[in-house]
Amino acid sequence: MQRGKGMKFVEDSRVLDKESRNKIPKDYSEYPGRTEAFWPNFLLKEWLVGAVFLIGFLCLVAAHPSPLEQQADPNNASYIPLPDWYFLFLYELLKYEFAAGDYVVIGTVVIPGLAFGALLIAPFLDRGPERRPSKRPIATGLMLLGVIATIWLTYESVEAVNWEDRANYSVEAVPDVEIDEEDPGYEVYQNNCMSCHGGQLEGNPASGGPSLVGIPHGKEALKDIAVNGVGEMPANMFEGTDEELDQLAEFIISVNEQANGEGEEGESEEESE
Amino acid sequence: MTDKKNQVSRRQFLNYTLTGVGGFMGAALVAPMVGFAVDPLLKGEKDTDFVYVMDENEITNEPQRKTFKVDQVDGWYESQVDRTAWVFRDENGEILALSPVCTHLGCTVDWNSREEFSNEFFCPCHDGRYDKNGVNIADTPPTEPLHAYEYKVEDGKLYLGKAKSRKEA
Amino acid sequence: MLHKLYDWIDERLDITPIWRDIADHEVPEHVNPAHHFSAFVYCFGGLTFFVTVIQILSGMFLTMYYVPDIVNAWESVKYLQTQVAHGQIVRGMHHWGASVVIVMIFLHTLRVFFQGAYKKPRELNWVVGVLLFFVMLGLGFTGYLLPWDNKAFFATQVGLEIAESVPYIGGDLKTLLAGDPEIVGAKTLARFFAIHVFFLPAALFALMGAHFIMIRRQGISGPL
Repeated sequence: MQRGKGMKFVEDSRVLDKESRNKIPKDYSEYPGRTEAFWPNFLLKEWLVGAVFLIGFLCLVAAHPSPLEQQADPNNASYIPLPDWYFLFLYELLKYEFAAGDYVVIGTVVIPGLAFGALLIAPFLDRGPERRPSKRPIATGLMLLGVIATIWLTYESVEAVNWEDRANYSVEAVPDVEIDEEDPGYEVYQNNCMSCHGGQLEGNPASGGPSLVGIPHGKEALKDIAVNGVGEMPANMFEGTDEELDQLAEFIISVNEQANGEGEEGESEEESE
Repeated sequence: MTDKKNQVSRRQFLNYTLTGVGGFMGAALVAPMVGFAVDPLLKGEKDTDFVYVMDENEITNEPQRKTFKVDQVDGWYESQVDRTAWVFRDENGEILALSPVCTHLGCTVDWNSREEFSNEFFCPCHDGRYDKNGVNIADTPPTEPLHAYEYKVEDGKLYLGKAKSRKEA
Repeated sequence: MLHKLYDWIDERLDITPIWRDIADHEVPEHVNPAHHFSAFVYCFGGLTFFVTVIQILSGMFLTMYYVPDIVNAWESVKYLQTQVAHGQIVRGMHHWGASVVIVMIFLHTLRVFFQGAYKKPRELNWVVGVLLFFVMLGLGFTGYLLPWDNKAFFATQVGLEIAESVPYIGGDLKTLLAGDPEIVGAKTLARFFAIHVFFLPAALFALMGAHFIMIRRQGISGPL
């Protein structure tokens, strides 16, 4: 930068006077090869890629509404926790014996600490002048190992999850019905069915009980299932009098009718609590 | 710019395209968010339900302060809020239920609270005054009469709805 | 009119060199997909930045409705998603953007690594980049709790257990994160909200600024 006498400034600031500023543009000839100005030539290409990316992204957003599960309930014993997919590798790692129990420190601190620590200081570990992956086999090999391990662990974790059951955790899976707790059938339901089919008849993925809302059965079929079981449901789950059995079947049917009725009306703002 | 004056140079063309693509990206990004932010404007006003306040035969010529609860849905927050009305019959025997919210700056007016302004609604904030029918008295700060609740009487019971301006009346 | 305004500002602040430096630098051939199709691998950094912009914008708008409180958080998310115009889209952008940004940052990291672009003189920029990766993971972890649904609650509890397993400082670390030695609740949510919305974005901005300044000073690494 120029200094000394003869320099003119804007008033008393340190900004140079317009006449004194260096107006010579950069000389492009010092760059080898087919270079291109960033603005506007190259930026346009980047933005075209960005625009295509954005369209794809918005399609993803429009096609897949972001999930919202039921409100957090710390006492929900049946819930199987699952982290977001980019932490699944860590979640899966902790399932292995050498990284669980007494050795949990290995899984939570040692392995991730070594991996991420090495990543952080990679330039100081891999100090040679070579840049080609094939010329630095150790660095390349370790990185490939890390990437493959991460992808493998993530895949294993995803495989182990029953995604259909998890869909039942979603807020949409909760039937928008008002349970009439005064109904005599509700008490019978509480005593016989609730442990597997949930307090709102919404089902319970952990115990395998399906939702009882939206089932096609009539009264006699319901009574039969309650006594004799169906599919995975064992027989003799119902213990009570015939009168109670009648009340139970009527209660389940009434809830189903309510759910169907609301479905036809379209969006209704009934609270389910 | 070498041969013809109105010819677009390559650089200019690229600049226009750049602005176009940038504008598209910006618009596609911001459009849903702006809609999201201005949602309260799109929602508009909601109708208020009529709420039972008192029996018709209890209404006197003297304004009585009545509080009642209305269900309020405030986004995700549903609650019951208290509303207050001064209820009485005017000279013509018409029921009048006035909102106590001063039309000047929203303080709360009181009936007959000052000796020097008897039989008037008085607002303590800026000495706003209204006569018994809730009409603002000239040369006091309020610019319009107190708002009156919509009402209906069914089976001898008074129900109140929304407080509305009476400016044109 | 605009020219006059520009000249007025430029005379006083001499801003021309600032944007000329950004706009007029030459882009070398080997990163230009017009000349080498494989140069598309250089897009991941830019796309990471683009998704980050999406995250910042959509996050700002989401806080117009969201409240970090265990009674209302879930209700407010449900409300903004189902009742507010375009709520589904704006929350969707933030939700899916969080995943996409991790993918992009991962690919960008791999590109830089396998090209050996972190070697002298660019060691510092690599370190800053990995720190940015950590900040992104932190944003993902803290943002996960905010809707206060079952997934959020239980995943956070697992995350806090992992923090607790750290030797010596684990218990304190967990208490510090959760705001309470035992409960994962109101204090945890408020804390995670503050970290997600103020602390980590502040770190993100500082690191991104450093990342970009270093790129402009050193230029992009040469061809292999």
